[in-house]
Amino acid sequence: MTSRQRNTGIIAFLAAFIIFILPFVFTFFMAVKSRQEAALFLFTWPSEWHFWSNLVEVVQARNYMLLLAYFNSTIITVGAVALLVIFGAMVGYVLQRRPSGWNKLIYAGVLMGLMVPPAVVPTIWVLQGLGLFKTIHGMILIQVAYGLAFSVLLYRSFIATIPRDLDEAAIIDGAKPWAIFFKVILPLLKPVTVTLILVQSIAIFNDFTNPLYYLPGRENVTVQLTLFNFQSQFQSQFNLLFMNILLVTIPPLIVFVIFNRQIVAGMTAGAVKG
Amino acid sequence: MTSVKLKSVKKSFGAVDIIKGIDLTIEDGEFCVFVGPSGCGKSTLLRIISGLEEATEGTIEIDGRDVTGEEPSKRGIAMVFQSYALYPHLTVRENVGFGLSLAKLPKDVIRQKVDAAAEALQLTHLLDRKPKALSGGQRQRVAIGRAMVRDPKVFLLDEPLSNLDAALRAQMRIELTDLHRKLGATMIYVTHDQVEAMTMADKIVVLNSGRIEQVGSPMDLYNNPVSPFVAGFIGSPKMNLYDGPVAAAQGCKTYGIRPEHVVLSATNGTWKGSVRHVEHLGADTVVYLVVPEMGEIVVRVSGDFKAAHGDILWASPVAGREFRFN
Repeated sequence: MTSRQRNTGIIAFLAAFIIFILPFVFTFFMAVKSRQEAALFLFTWPSEWHFWSNLVEVVQARNYMLLLAYFNSTIITVGAVALLVIFGAMVGYVLQRRPSGWNKLIYAGVLMGLMVPPAVVPTIWVLQGLGLFKTIHGMILIQVAYGLAFSVLLYRSFIATIPRDLDEAAIIDGAKPWAIFFKVILPLLKPVTVTLILVQSIAIFNDFTNPLYYLPGRENVTVQLTLFNFQSQFQSQFNLLFMNILLVTIPPLIVFVIFNRQIVAGMTAGAVKG
Repeated sequence: MTSVKLKSVKKSFGAVDIIKGIDLTIEDGEFCVFVGPSGCGKSTLLRIISGLEEATEGTIEIDGRDVTGEEPSKRGIAMVFQSYALYPHLTVRENVGFGLSLAKLPKDVIRQKVDAAAEALQLTHLLDRKPKALSGGQRQRVAIGRAMVRDPKVFLLDEPLSNLDAALRAQMRIELTDLHRKLGATMIYVTHDQVEAMTMADKIVVLNSGRIEQVGSPMDLYNNPVSPFVAGFIGSPKMNLYDGPVAAAQGCKTYGIRPEHVVLSATNGTWKGSVRHVEHLGADTVVYLVVPEMGEIVVRVSGDFKAAHGDILWASPVAGREFRFN
């Protein structure tokens, strides 16, 4: 290792530490402090540890609102990600494999979905018209609509790397289009599916603005909105706010740790001569 | 009787005609090879027979039944792809049995058939491996196994050996011929390699830009080519072919003589030329001779022939072995 490589490594490590680790340490310290100490807003070692009492207080606040929020957010995340994977892969497959005059138009539509920012008020108007406003399934559909363009593009480009011979071999073996997709293509999409689950579930679970607009109502609360509620209610109770942040951060972290190991390249190795 | 009959089959992609009207009968149990240069439509023709591609015009009969509009899986065919096209996420056992499990056959029947095919192809010890853990030759065998278990009436093979190295290719040629003899099934084999065509075929179909140039047994094509194209395609090194004044002097449009039908002499002969290059292959020697009035002539001499760059030699055609095309 040259001195230059070592220096670059040290600088990169320090930068990563400052950007990723320090805020987490700060959050953790704030979360375990007493109310008075947290109000000082200093990056110091806590003088007294109130981890358990703060945790219980946050969970119990406003009639166990955090637990309801976890439940709602989990349903929205799982539902939306499942639909994104299925529809994204299906649309991507058809777009890539079946050439037709409509493809360009559909592709333009997909790109538009990626580029054009959604307008809130008309969306609410549409949701109200469909009877989906203030409902969890309405929220799931909103998340699917916002994420579908990205997942279609991701799947489409990945499917382009799967040799068409595999589809044809399956046709010769007597597979119907449905079987080709579910038995041959979908299993090969595992790396991109894992990536998509990782990216989208973290984004949807952490989403603050969309539930704020489209999912008002006490019983519809999601995890990020609990922060919003706490902040207005306990304006001076930063220890509880940070404990809440800590609790909300953990599920995406678990998802990341589980799936990050499974993003494996080269799933198609061995399909054709390589 | 599983014969395959093509009746005036045509195929166009947009305005481009790929197959320009083909009539062909492949008899029961025959090993038929489609051969031709790249882009001559041989793979397209195979895909039309398989049903992966639809013919623009004409009909295809397999076993006396018109299958033109049938789905590939209903035609009683099996196909081996150039790229093998094994399903990478399935084991060898699942790959071979994939078609059978789609057909919802009982599990023990599938197991029995897969085991039988694996034994015939010496794959038994590899059944639980994934394709990525196999060598090229083993993958090729798995692809053939997948075709075998379906008990097809017709095997379609699309350049199955082109991804293998030379030694393995020679071995697989023999294994495929053995397999054909054992199964007795009709096989249609596409290749651009004339050696494969000559060594394996009962019947060779030479294709040239979407048309059949000639159909016949390997030695038939070697001894009686109907056109300079067939003459140049069959045989290695390829036949010496001459147009223009050289041919006119012989009273024809194209004059051809195979390298193995030319004799060399240091003292006298028909054409005098200087040696440009010599290839010593051990069993025989290939001499490239530059003759001023006709250009280059390639000569194949059996055994080790002593010649060096710049030597002056005389070449003469063997009587009765010359070809004159009009």
